[in-house]
Amino acid sequence: MKIEDVVCPFCGCLCDDLVVEVEGTRIVSVENGCTLANEKFMGDHRLKTPIRREGKGWKETTYDEAIRETAQILCDADRPLLYGWSGTHGEAQSIGIHLAEILGALVDNTSTVCHGPSILAIQEVGHPGCTLGQVKNRADVVVYWGTNPIDAHPRHMSRYTTFADGFFLKDAFRDRKLIVVDVRKSESANIADEFVRIQPGGDYAVLSALRAIVQGKRSIIPPSVAGVSREQLFRVADLFLSAKFGAIFFGLGLTMSRGKSKNIRNAIELTEELNRHTKFIISPMRGHWNVYGSNEVFTWITGYPYAVDFARGIAFYNPGETTSVDVLSRKECDACLVVASDPGAHFPKACAEHLARIPTVQIDPHVNATTHLSRIQIPVAVTGIDAEGTAYRMDGVPIRTRMLFKGNYPSDTAVLEQLYAIVKEIKGP
Amino acid sequence: MRVILRTKPRKKPFIPIEAETIIPQNFLRKNDIRVYEGNKERRLEEIFYITAEGPAVSPDQVEIVLSGETGNIKRVGEYMNAGRIVVEGDIGMHCGNFMSAGEIIIKGNADAWLGREMRGGTIRCEGNAGHYCAAGYRGEKRGMRGGLVDVMGSAGDFTAEYLSGGEVRIHGDCGDLPGVEMRGGTLTIGGHCHRPCGNMTGGTCMVFGRVYDLLPTFRGAGNEEREYRGQRCQMMLYKGDTANRGKGSLLVKKNLNRTGTD
Repeated sequence: MKIEDVVCPFCGCLCDDLVVEVEGTRIVSVENGCTLANEKFMGDHRLKTPIRREGKGWKETTYDEAIRETAQILCDADRPLLYGWSGTHGEAQSIGIHLAEILGALVDNTSTVCHGPSILAIQEVGHPGCTLGQVKNRADVVVYWGTNPIDAHPRHMSRYTTFADGFFLKDAFRDRKLIVVDVRKSESANIADEFVRIQPGGDYAVLSALRAIVQGKRSIIPPSVAGVSREQLFRVADLFLSAKFGAIFFGLGLTMSRGKSKNIRNAIELTEELNRHTKFIISPMRGHWNVYGSNEVFTWITGYPYAVDFARGIAFYNPGETTSVDVLSRKECDACLVVASDPGAHFPKACAEHLARIPTVQIDPHVNATTHLSRIQIPVAVTGIDAEGTAYRMDGVPIRTRMLFKGNYPSDTAVLEQLYAIVKEIKGP
Repeated sequence: MRVILRTKPRKKPFIPIEAETIIPQNFLRKNDIRVYEGNKERRLEEIFYITAEGPAVSPDQVEIVLSGETGNIKRVGEYMNAGRIVVEGDIGMHCGNFMSAGEIIIKGNADAWLGREMRGGTIRCEGNAGHYCAAGYRGEKRGMRGGLVDVMGSAGDFTAEYLSGGEVRIHGDCGDLPGVEMRGGTLTIGGHCHRPCGNMTGGTCMVFGRVYDLLPTFRGAGNEEREYRGQRCQMMLYKGDTANRGKGSLLVKKNLNRTGTD
C-alpha cells in the first residue's frame, strides 16, 4: 500500500510530501525523501523487548517490570534528570514535564546542545522571523551562516530557498542570491554566489562590522575583520541592502562557537538594523525533527523552553546551571531518564561517564550509544512510522505526523502515561 | 554575634544545596532555617554543625562564617541587606544575588553568577570567580546596579554582562566578552581579556593587561592617564561599541602589544 503526504520525522524541515510504500509492518520504499529520510524509514535496528542490565550482560524483561523499576529509581533520587524529548511527539513531551513536576526533577531537551543560545538571544532581543513559506515565495537574498544544509537539511534548499520556485519571484532559480558564511568551504559554499570565510570564532566581530556598515559607519572598518576583507564586507552589506526580502538561516557554527548566545544576539540585531532599510528575517536551522516542539511544549507548561528545574516545586530556569551538560559534568544528578535522544553519542565524555555511574534508563526504539550507559532500555514505536503525534517544524508551524501501520510497540505516550501513574501512586496524594 | 556553620559529611556530596536563607538577618531571630538539598527540604542543622557566639540586636551585628565543603552551596547571601558573611573556602553559584548592603568575604573561589544583579554592599573574592561574575539573569536588561565586586584572581566569560552601575574589579584575567552589553558603572581588569565590551552603550572599562581580538567597531579617541594599584598608567581610549550607540569608554594600557582584529 502506498501512502502519500507522509511527514518525515528526521530533521527540522519536517518534509510532508513523502510517498511511502508499506507491506504489513514493513516499509519497502520511500519516494521524495533525502538520504537521511530513507535511512530513517528503511532502517531496521529496533530493540525487540525491554532489557535490563544484569552483571556484565543484558536480560530481557517485560514492559510492566521495566516501567515499575524505572518509577522506583526516579522516586528514590534526590536530583533526577529527565533529558531528551526532541525525537518524540508533543503529547509525550507534555507527560514528561508533568512527570518532572511531581518528581521534583530537572527536565531538559536537546536545545541544550544545539540552539539553546539562540533562545537566550531571542529572550534578550526578540525574533524577527517568518514561516518557510514566506521565504520560499519572497526571499531574493538567502544567507546560510554556520550551517551546511546540503549535508544536514538536504531538502531545505529545494523546498524553501535556492532551488525552489517563488510566487513573487519571476525567475527564482536565477534571481535569488545565495551567501554562505562559514569557517570552511562546505558543500553548500560550493554553490554560493558569495562565500565568506571567517576565521574560527570570528563571527561576532564580523556581525558587529556588518551592523556598523549597514548604519553607514564604513570608515571605521579596518582592512580585515576575522579574515574577511573590508571590500567583501562592503559587498555583502550591499547585497543585504539591495534585497527586497532577505533571509538569514544560522546553525551550530554560530550557536556553539566562541561567543555563543552573543553571536546570535548580534545576528538578530543586524537583522533588525536591515529592517530599517528593507525586509529581512532570521531563523535557526533546527536539527531534531521536533526540537522546536519541545521548546513549545516546555514553554506553554513551565514558562521556559528548556533546562527547567522543578527541585523546589516551582519551575526555575538558568542555562549554564540547570542545563544537562552542566549538571552531568558537575555530577549533580543521581538518576537519569533519557527519552528520544542519544546523549551518549553527543555529550562530553565527563557527562557520559556520569550517566554510566548513576542509574540511567532509556526510552528509545533503537540500540544506540546511550544503551551502553543505561541500566534499563524500553523500546517504543517510532513517531511518524508506527505512532502518530504533533511536531513543530523549524519555523514553528505545527504538523501532525502519521502512523503508517500499527506495530507491536507501545508509543512514547503510552509508556510515559504508565510511568506517570506509577510515580503518582508511589508519591501519594 | 558570630554564627559558625561547618558542613557535615553528606552521602551525595555533589548534589548542590540551595541556601538563600543564609543571610545575617535570619540568624538574628533564630528562625527555623531551611535549605534545599536537591529536591529535599532540610533543616539547617541537618547540613551544618552550628555554633553561635555572642549577642546581636540588629543584622549588621551578625557575622556568619561558613567552613568545610562549601563549594556546592548556592545562593548564600541572596537579598542580604546588612551584616557580614565570611566563607573560609569556595562558594557555589549565585553568592550575593541581589544584595543591597553588607559584606561578603570569600577566601577561596566563587562559582558562576557571583553578585548577580547586586544593588549595593561589597563582595571580595580572594580566589577566582566563575562565568557571569556581576552579571544579570537570563533575559534581564540590567545586571549589577551598585556596590563593589572585588576579585583578586581571574574571572570567567561574560564578566559584568549588562553592568549598569557600581564597580567591578578583576585583578587577574577575564575570559571572553567582559563588559558585554554594559551600559554604566566601571569595570577594571588588571590582567588580560578577550573582546571586551561588545555592544556596550555606556560606562567605563579599563584593561591594564593585554586585549586580545579588540572588536573592529571601537574607535580610537586619544590617550588618558589612569591610576591602578598606586601606579599611573598611560591608557589608549576607545569609544564604542559603534555597532550600537558607541557611548561607552574602553581604556587599554599602552606599551603592551595588542593582537587586535588583524
